[in-house]
Order: sequence, then C-alpha cells, then structure tokens
Amino acid sequence: MKTTDLDAQRSSSENLEGKERSTETAVSYPSSSRAVNIIRLLTGVLVLLIFAGVLPGDIRYFLDDKLQTYTTIFLGIFIEAVPFLLAGSLVSGFIAVFIDRDMITNYVPRRAVPAALTGALMGFVFPVCECGVVPVTRRLYKKGLPLPVGITFLLSAPVINPIVLASTYVAFGFGPILIGRYLLTFLIAFTIGIIFHFAKPEDVLRPAEETGIGLVNTCNIMPTSTEGQSKQRGLLAIITAADDFLDMSRYLIIGSLLAAGMQTFIAQGILLGFGSDSTLSVIAMMVLAFVMSICSTVDAFLALSFANVFTTGSVLSFLVFGPMVDIKSALMFLGVFRRRTVLYLILLPLLFTLLIAIFINLNLGL
Amino acid sequence: MMNTKIIAKVVVLISLGLFLGSRLLNGTLSYYIHPRFNNLTALTAVGFILVGIVYARQNLSATSQEDSHHHDHDDHDSHHHSHDLSWWGVAILLLPALLGVLVQPKPLGANALVNRNINIDSLTSAKSPESNQLDAIATSSERNILDWLYQFQRSGDLSQLNGENVHVIGFVYRDERFDSEQFMVSRFIVSCCVADAAPAGLIVQWPETAELKADEWVEVEGTLQMGKFNDLEIPLLIADSVTLIDAPNHPYLYQ
Repeated sequence: MKTTDLDAQRSSSENLEGKERSTETAVSYPSSSRAVNIIRLLTGVLVLLIFAGVLPGDIRYFLDDKLQTYTTIFLGIFIEAVPFLLAGSLVSGFIAVFIDRDMITNYVPRRAVPAALTGALMGFVFPVCECGVVPVTRRLYKKGLPLPVGITFLLSAPVINPIVLASTYVAFGFGPILIGRYLLTFLIAFTIGIIFHFAKPEDVLRPAEETGIGLVNTCNIMPTSTEGQSKQRGLLAIITAADDFLDMSRYLIIGSLLAAGMQTFIAQGILLGFGSDSTLSVIAMMVLAFVMSICSTVDAFLALSFANVFTTGSVLSFLVFGPMVDIKSALMFLGVFRRRTVLYLILLPLLFTLLIAIFINLNLGL
Repeated sequence: MMNTKIIAKVVVLISLGLFLGSRLLNGTLSYYIHPRFNNLTALTAVGFILVGIVYARQNLSATSQEDSHHHDHDDHDSHHHSHDLSWWGVAILLLPALLGVLVQPKPLGANALVNRNINIDSLTSAKSPESNQLDAIATSSERNILDWLYQFQRSGDLSQLNGENVHVIGFVYRDERFDSEQFMVSRFIVSCCVADAAPAGLIVQWPETAELKADEWVEVEGTLQMGKFNDLEIPLLIADSVTLIDAPNHPYLYQ
C-alpha cells in the first residue's frame, strides 16, 4: 500500500504545472535539486558521447558477454517495436487535434453489446499493433470513449486489423489457425469488453491529472481554419504525438528491459520440450508469448516455426494471447489504467485463452 | 528549467533517430532485426529527426508566450500543460541509444546459446517451408545450415544422406554433451528480431576441435555420416577442413 501511495504522490507531483511543480518536488524529494543537477550533468556527458562515439576502444568495449547478449536482445525488441509506437503516437496526436469529443459522443455506441462490437472492429479504422494501440486508446479515452469500446479495441486491434490479417494469411494460409486466431481474439476481447461495461470508468482508468497525457493547447488556435491554421494544427498534432511518444516509450523501454532479462537468464529449451502435451504445450506457448514480447504484425511467422512440434491449441494460444498481453504491452497498460485493472487485463485474457486452447486440444483434435 | 526539459526531450528524439539511422548505415542493424524491417527503420529514423525538429521549433519559440498566457478556463481538453517527464524519465528514454553506444554491437553468439539450451531432437525436425524453393538449391554444397535441417526433415531415411558434401559457415559452440572431437557449427535463425532467435547447427566431427574457441566463426567442409551424438543417432558432419573466418555481415539466417 505504501508504495502505491508513494507512486501516486510522485506521479501527481510530476504532473503539476510549471511553477507549482518545482516547489512540490522539492517537498517530496529534499535532495532532488542536487539529483537533478547530477543527472543533468551525466545526461549531458552521455549525450556528448552518443554524438561523438569516440570513446577509446577498451573503455567502450569493457562490458562482458552476458551484458552484450542482454543488450542485443533488448535493442532487438526495442528497435522492432519503436516504429509502431511512433506511428501509434502520431495517430494519437492527430486524433487529439482533429477529432472532437462530440464526434465520439455522437457516433460511438454506449450500450454494452454494440460498444464491444465497435471496439472489436475499430482495428480496421486504426490499424495498429500492440505497441501503437496503447497511446491511441489512451487518447480516445481522453476524448470520452466509452470504457468497453476502448478495452475491446485494446485487446483485439493488434490482431483484428488488415496488416496482421495479411501476415497470418501469408504464414498459415486459410485454415484452422487463421480462423481460430480471429474467432478467439474476437470472442475473448468482446467478452472482456462486456465485463468492463459494468465497471465505473473512474475505477478503471488512471485519473487524468495522473497520466500526464499531453493535453492540447487550442487556446491560440482559432477553430475557423484557414490554410495557415490547419498547418498550425498539423504541427500541434506532431508535438502532441512527440509528448505521447516520450511518455509511452518509458514503459516500452522498461518492458523491453524486463523481456530481455527473462530471455537472457531463463532457459527456453525447457519450454520447447512440452510441444505435444495438450495442456503443458499451451502453458509453454503462452509463457513464451508473454516473455518474447514479439510484435503482433510478425508473430505469425514465428508461430509457423513451432507449428510442427506444438499442438494446434498451443499455437493458437500463442497467436491470441501474445498480441493481447506481453511484458512490454502490460507495462504500457500502466500508462492508461489503474494497477488493479492492469492485473485484470492480464489475468482475464490469460484464463480465457488457456481454457479455450486446452479445450481445442482435447476435443477438436485439429 | 522548462527549456532544459524541452531540450532534453529534443535530444532524446533526435538521438533515437541518429541511433537507428547509424545502425542502418553501418550494417549492424542486421544484428537486431530481420532485413525486411530496414525500410521501416529508415522511415522511423527520419520520422524521429523530423518530429524532434518540429518539437524544438514549436516549443522553444512558444514557451515565452506560453508562460505569460494564463489558463483560466475549465475545459480540460483545450488546456495545455507541457506535461512533464521527470529526469529519471529522460534517463530511461536515453537508455536504448546509450546502451547501443556503450556496448559493442555484436550478434548473438555461443553465450546466448547456453541459455537457449538447444534441443538436439529438434535439429532433425525443423519445420520446412511448403514451397519447392529447396529443390532449387540443387548442389548440396550451396545449402546453409537451415537448408540442411530442412533436408533432414524432408528425407524419411536420414542415412540416405550419408556421403553428401557439406560446406557451411557458423560459429563454434560446445557444451558438456559434446565429446572431445565434436563441436557444433551454429547459426541463429531469426523470424522477426533477435527476441525470437532460435539456435540451429550441425554437429561436426573434427580431430582438432580442442583448438577452437567458442564463438569463433568457421567455414567447415566435409561429408555427412550417420553417427552418435550424446547417444542420439543423427547425421554428423565429418569435417575435412575447418577454417577460421571473419564473422559475416549477416550473422543470422532468416526464416
């Protein structure tokens, strides 16, 4: 409980406006100004190094093999995910500037079933993977999107979008895996969306003042748009996107660090031994999906390499659960939802996918 | 104070762009992700730099005017606070580029293989692609390690492959399962990025194995012969020659 309070305090102090903030931080962290100076200095020096890259060889390459493996995997995950996060942030920025609250209140259904259906199909409007979907969802919630729509969108969009449809088709062709992936993703996301219909938004979402989301300054922009002003709005969208990106990529980086740690220090060979067991294979593939944190746009190609050795249910669980929840996306959820909600958003897809995949293995014999 | 933070954010954005761009230009990007992402990465690098420039121009010119501009209306959505990132946040954001500069770029090697504990059974059961592209590789000496594993899987009787000529490159890997004259010539197989890298290799029988060090890149020529590895009957590569070579530009094989 203590840590939660502390965190809340920290993040709220982070997000107070300009003048108030400096005094507030000084209160909660007495040594903060010195810390800030040190960090600023270090950052300056290190930035210099980035641009120069002229460290003498032996200092630069002092780090041993393990760290090298760790860094390679971390950068691999990060470099693969970061274009999608940037794209998602840009979409978010443009939504922030160009879409009004009214449009959402008027056109997005509020009743449970239509709302969840809308969320499930929104991936075709905003084709984003699991990194891009988080800033977009967060932005849409700011604009008054109903809770179940956003939850269903968050869980289904990484799979239910044209890009992933194409990559799954290329990898597996039209067959049980493709149909199963889409059917299960839809059912699970839809069900969880309906469940959240009965929750109160304020219990689920992080409070606005806590998320530090870049709110848009329309003060100095007249709504009547001449050509110059629409250019101005475009630039504003880009700035908002940059703030969103900077905010969300912290979670992406920490998630990638964790995922790389799991990969460097946990032997995956053990998991691969369970390929033919109808229950253990599903658990193994779900653990793998969670730990690997692979982007949903490409995971089908990877799943293909398991398809021979692993049961159909387990390959499906990899393709359904992975896009919904993995280490890095779970970390990013923290930027949108309260902690308890994040826990539900991990456990519910986990439970549903596990049960359905084992059921498929035991009964359908695909 | 406000300005320093904005400058820090601009530095983060632009250094990410430069980092991605430099990795792409010096070829080390292939240590991290499949080459099919090269264009996407180039686009992202340019995107970061452009966004960084826009961010700098808009915010730095706007801040003076921003401070004097008092917000007194309640409508949250039309309300700008340049929301804030702590300095820890900035430090985290600089981490990828920093690690990239401080740690020598190196592809995964024998060290990573230890943890990915290769499952020797799977060597002979790799999933082969449906297409006929394998048949196009007519001469066996042109097959790489992955092609050979596909070949193993396709042929019902592995002993039919006895006597086939093999010419492959890879890095040296050994653990306690190998006897003193055996090592594995290994490559990592990557489908998207190194997070999914799976090791693959051929077990080489070579009298001078003791002189080889883990992670050294070698070119192995020899012939296949059914033999025993760790009590398992699998095709061994009986080497005629093992030559040390430089690591290739594309260290991984791609699926």
